[in-house]
Amino acid sequence: MANEKLLTVENLRVLFNTRNGQTVAVENLSFSLAPGKVLGIVGESGSGKSVACYALMGLIPSPPGKVESGRALFYGKDLLQMSEADLRHVRGHKIAMIFQDPMTCLNPYMRIADQLIEALLQHKKISKKEARQKSIAALVEVGILDAAMRIDEYPHQFSGGMRQRVMIAMALLAEPEILIADEPTTALDVTVQAQILALIKGLQQSHNLAVIFITHDLGVAAQMADDILVMEKGKLIEQGTTEAIFKYPTQEYTKKLLSAVLTTAKPVASEAKANESPLLDVKNLQVGYASYTGSLFNRKKQFSRGVDDVSITIRRGEILGLVGESGSGKSTLGRSIVRLVDAQSGQILFNEKNLLDLSAANLNLMRRDIQMIFQDPYASLNPRMTVFDTLAEPLLVHELANKSTVLDKVNELMDDVGLDQRFIRKYPHEFSGGQRQRVAIARAIALKPKLIVADEPVSALDVTIRAQILSLLLELTRKHNLTMLFISHDMSVVRYLCDRVVVMQQGKVVEEGETEQLFSAPQDEYTRQLLAAIPCL
Amino acid sequence: MLNNELSAQSQPLEKGTSLTQDAFARLRKNKMAMASLLILLLIIVVSLLTPWIAPYSYEEQNLDLGASAPSAAHWLGTDVLGRDQLTRIMYGSRISLMVGFIATAVALTIGVLWGSVAGFVGGRVDAIMMRIVDALYALPFTIFIILLSVIFGSSLLLLFLAIGAVEWLTMARIVRGQVLTIKRQEFVEAAISMGLSPWRIISRHLIPNVLGPVIVYTTLTIPSVILLESFLSFLGLGVQPPASSWGSLISDGVETMEEYPWLLIFPGLVLTITLFSLNFLGDGLRDALDPRASKD
Repeated sequence: MANEKLLTVENLRVLFNTRNGQTVAVENLSFSLAPGKVLGIVGESGSGKSVACYALMGLIPSPPGKVESGRALFYGKDLLQMSEADLRHVRGHKIAMIFQDPMTCLNPYMRIADQLIEALLQHKKISKKEARQKSIAALVEVGILDAAMRIDEYPHQFSGGMRQRVMIAMALLAEPEILIADEPTTALDVTVQAQILALIKGLQQSHNLAVIFITHDLGVAAQMADDILVMEKGKLIEQGTTEAIFKYPTQEYTKKLLSAVLTTAKPVASEAKANESPLLDVKNLQVGYASYTGSLFNRKKQFSRGVDDVSITIRRGEILGLVGESGSGKSTLGRSIVRLVDAQSGQILFNEKNLLDLSAANLNLMRRDIQMIFQDPYASLNPRMTVFDTLAEPLLVHELANKSTVLDKVNELMDDVGLDQRFIRKYPHEFSGGQRQRVAIARAIALKPKLIVADEPVSALDVTIRAQILSLLLELTRKHNLTMLFISHDMSVVRYLCDRVVVMQQGKVVEEGETEQLFSAPQDEYTRQLLAAIPCL
Repeated sequence: MLNNELSAQSQPLEKGTSLTQDAFARLRKNKMAMASLLILLLIIVVSLLTPWIAPYSYEEQNLDLGASAPSAAHWLGTDVLGRDQLTRIMYGSRISLMVGFIATAVALTIGVLWGSVAGFVGGRVDAIMMRIVDALYALPFTIFIILLSVIFGSSLLLLFLAIGAVEWLTMARIVRGQVLTIKRQEFVEAAISMGLSPWRIISRHLIPNVLGPVIVYTTLTIPSVILLESFLSFLGLGVQPPASSWGSLISDGVETMEEYPWLLIFPGLVLTITLFSLNFLGDGLRDALDPRASKD
């Protein structure tokens, strides 16, 4: 049993032809998968972990991609040499896949029932009625309530987690022997992620599936996998049992990945003074998004609540964490403080001045003091401006520098965020994600603001980069005496960075407190769920 | 911007390649587009130098000669009044190209400003500005021009205005659509939260990022404007004799097509070559500016 392998991959090498020559996406990868086992493939973006699995399924777009050499033996047959028709048979019956984004994998114009039944009828000779029964049974198995009714709904009527359950049901209907899961929980909220992981684990055991689980998240890998492959830049770095990899990593890169997982509390507390007047005091804030109903001449304005009667205070010099899942209103709250969205009622007192009452001219002056760092470093920099122009613009507009001093100031900012001064004439697309986020941080601190609103600034970054950016943020807040509102869905990041934490759910604050206190003794049920959902090593 | 300060820097700077430079590197590899660009430059240079290099005067008649076929003295022949065809085509290109470029420039300026302001400000302002565009769209163009020329008499200036006034509408719509998607991006929000003025956001952050589609559309507008001018001159509403444009030459040529075909063929050929070149260049620019959209 132990030496019987379901799938054996040998010396897999995948190339991509690009404008600047060939890049090797996967280099001499060999691994094997035993029946009923979970193999975790761990790596950062660009490590080739997904490409390797897509190559097995014949899903590499060719050109530009090319499987150059290697073998993938599945029941003695080489998947890489198979005809397209045979491969399609394998994909439908033997090896199923679930993807990261359940939204794009389901056809939005077809009912769930039709999509499931269609897939079944393609591969099995059964009647439509039987197919429907089987589909409903599969939906029940993946935990969809009222499956008999919901099967006739469209994908947009399901939440993200529910859609992922539908995708899993679809994969199970093929009764596969191998399930390839490509970051299946990355797009989901943490509490939903925990449910889906438990579901996959349960199904794996009850159906005796072999699973290849691709993830960038070591915590998730630790929870799911029996064996782990660590990949970097297309190469296999280390492989072994999960226990061995986590307890006794031998390679430098594996150790680096492991140390980037944040399990610690904040290294040094900020010197926030509780008795001083707070820097920011939000009182009974209501923010909604307007939508219009009714006919053209009889418009009715309706507000859907994004932020519902929220009051928070931020003390001078502290980092306040704002935690919640998507749709909790945490980003909307952050954006209304920066005045990117308009609030309907309430007060935002900044240095005891209400931001909601300011005239347009005063507001533009005040904007200097509150700056924002955005989530996506690819979208938050103007692609047509050099780093120098991006950083010089706020300085010149607000007259913090003139034409002769601006270069020194920009260089100073580059030093502050750890970027080489020689790069100032480069454009954003020539930088990596982490470097771009450093530029975005430099832009935010350029105006010497008092408050920074950081909206998920590290969630688009790889784990090792994430750790660097977080320590940069800590260092900068100390150096420039900054106060920060740090918005995140990731509890471990919040614990590492924040002095106090506010938890939001469905537009309301459900709990707030000192970070360590909240982590050790959460009061609210929802906070407890969030904390329980952190996968631990 | 601020190059002089940068040169004072002691360490060598690493120079970046902007997206525009990237695009031109790609365009340079497109043989069709580069050939088109060369042909266009040749036509433009010839039309600029016409008063000095034209073999004859464009109004000098030679009734004895009449309509003569191409010969050594008159390479492209003469028209019914004995005027040199080559000279008339060269002078005609001055007017046709001028109409093409100026009317397009007018359309470009109005359209980009109108569209980006409407898109960025949004709300009621956007609704009103775009309804004005819709209303102008609804005017039948030919009747509009005929009315204008009845009221003001036909002149070249009127031609620019009339064509420009029609062509900017599409440009405004394209730019507005682009601005709507770009203004949701975080770098525009970052610019707002830095307290930049709306005008600065539009000019520095929005317009540079919509230029790609705008440039492409411009190269496609120029030929349609040249065609419009030809059409108007053909109807007798544009250029008045003895001045000529490609359109008026073709119009004259059509009348005598059966007896003297060269009077139609040569101006038609020049117009066609120019339009083809502009279209190839536009295609090439589109592929160069948006490499994902092209096939390879």
